[in-house]
Amino acid sequence: MRNAFSSALIAAAQADERILLVTGDHGYALFDEFRHRFPKQYINAGIAEQNMVGVAAGLAKSGFRPVVYALSAFIPIRVLEQIKLDVCCEELPVLFIGDGAGVVYSTLGVSHQSTEDVAALRALPQVRILSPADAHEMKAAMELAFATPAPVYLRMGKSDLGQVHSSPPKLEWGRLLPVRSGNGPLVFIATGSMLNLAVKLAEEWPGSAVWSAPSLKPLDTGSLVSVCRPHRVVVTLEEHNVIGGLGGAVAEILSQEHPLPVCRIGVPDQYSELCGSYSYLMREHGLDLNSVRAQVHAFTKKHPVA
Amino acid sequence: MSAASTDYISANLRRTILRMAYSGSTVHIACAFSLVEILAVLYRQHLRLGSGPKDPERDYLILSKGHGVMAQYACLHELGWLSEKHIQDYCTDGTALKGLSDADVPGLEVNSGSLGHGLAVGAGLAMGALRRGTSQKVYAILGDGECNEGSIWEALLFASHFRLTNLLVIVDANGYQAMGSTAEVMNMGSLEQKFTAFGFEACTIDGHDEALLDKTITRLVKSSFSGPRAIIARTVKGKGVSFMEGSNLWHYSRLNEKTYQDALAELEKIEVGVSR
Repeated sequence: MRNAFSSALIAAAQADERILLVTGDHGYALFDEFRHRFPKQYINAGIAEQNMVGVAAGLAKSGFRPVVYALSAFIPIRVLEQIKLDVCCEELPVLFIGDGAGVVYSTLGVSHQSTEDVAALRALPQVRILSPADAHEMKAAMELAFATPAPVYLRMGKSDLGQVHSSPPKLEWGRLLPVRSGNGPLVFIATGSMLNLAVKLAEEWPGSAVWSAPSLKPLDTGSLVSVCRPHRVVVTLEEHNVIGGLGGAVAEILSQEHPLPVCRIGVPDQYSELCGSYSYLMREHGLDLNSVRAQVHAFTKKHPVA
Repeated sequence: MSAASTDYISANLRRTILRMAYSGSTVHIACAFSLVEILAVLYRQHLRLGSGPKDPERDYLILSKGHGVMAQYACLHELGWLSEKHIQDYCTDGTALKGLSDADVPGLEVNSGSLGHGLAVGAGLAMGALRRGTSQKVYAILGDGECNEGSIWEALLFASHFRLTNLLVIVDANGYQAMGSTAEVMNMGSLEQKFTAFGFEACTIDGHDEALLDKTITRLVKSSFSGPRAIIARTVKGKGVSFMEGSNLWHYSRLNEKTYQDALAELEKIEVGVSR
């Protein structure tokens, strides 16, 4: 997925010299080729994120298309106000890349983990949020972002979980992508790193459907309702706080338009307490296959589907 | 070099500010009064505004210190970009001019008022102009209180490192911030020394001496220095009205009928002595 990101960025920079990569001193190996091929389109703004976002706003105002890259622990959280006032209020075409979203930096602790980024940004008018699940979605997401002259946040999470799609899907703002069809009682809607697990889990519920949600904002009401209508229970999965992310967005829409029980699987409202591998932390937060299966069983017990 | 045909007489600008503050019953009068001469000199003698507020080749005036926005409204009124109705209806229901800088208003370049934002945006505009090879200048006006913000110092490092020679920072150093004098609240020491240490060509002058402001801006803009430039403009908060000068009360106080008339009367007296 990181290669797909890098390739898409390079292709865009080659096609359009207004595209500038602005990094907060991050992306050590990731940008080697970019720096080598487009040194004039590469700006390292140093370890100074507030200024970096303001500078990107100024560059966008003067006709450039900045791509601002940092860890998602810093962009957007550290600079939420700059994103709001300098970029979103003016609807400037700045693409923010938040790398390592979720608990990817599992051994580094809470400072480098990001499970609140989507919730914080969703409440900012004008910003659009993408959360691709595999390399194919990443390519499509980057193309959609560059084709959209508006503030966009692209959430890049755990990147080596393998491919779900077999080719780049056609991506549209707000639309869910079909992954597995079925008319059973359950529908799984997952975003980013959790799509892979959703596919595995769905095999245990015959007839269940799986959809990917790469566009977290906007999330199209009509599309979501038509996806959920054939089913009795909705399960959302995300590597993000259960508050304010995909599950929150789905529940907000369904509660008004087509009320259904929504089982929100995500990081409980807590920080990582201990250190360990990625899979260790995912277990700690109840996001491994066994824990998620148990949560879905408990939920369907409460909201019987049979 | 002059772009506008208007005079920007400081007493007139202050009168417009007073009228706005009175009709809108708003605060921050003293914050606007301290930077009147700075803005007058920029609008009269330096800013090249081209065909209007969205001219892609215009010079940028960034009011990072958004609290002084009434002074900029007064200049935009002289320029004809704001109407008399804008002034009379200031801050009334459903009007566009807010109590802090808002980029939606033609002539205002940034959303500021949350402090420490404008300089970084200005640095981005300056970098964009250099990359596009234009001769555009960026004039960024900061408050000395605003210099408490860490993002200001991030932006100074950036401007210096990337040699933004088309950036001129002017600090409206009126010596006060919301809760007291800058010396009491957060002593910034010598701003000139700090800016110099951060790689700027910097000097300190009287921010109410229009001839000196003009001369200094011209010298710095034309300087062969290889980095950004800065003027620390020593000003008086509330300048122009005796009972507001040096009194931090007028950061937050609103005018009543008597204070409004008293202030206007003082400005009428000053105008008699003004020569072109």
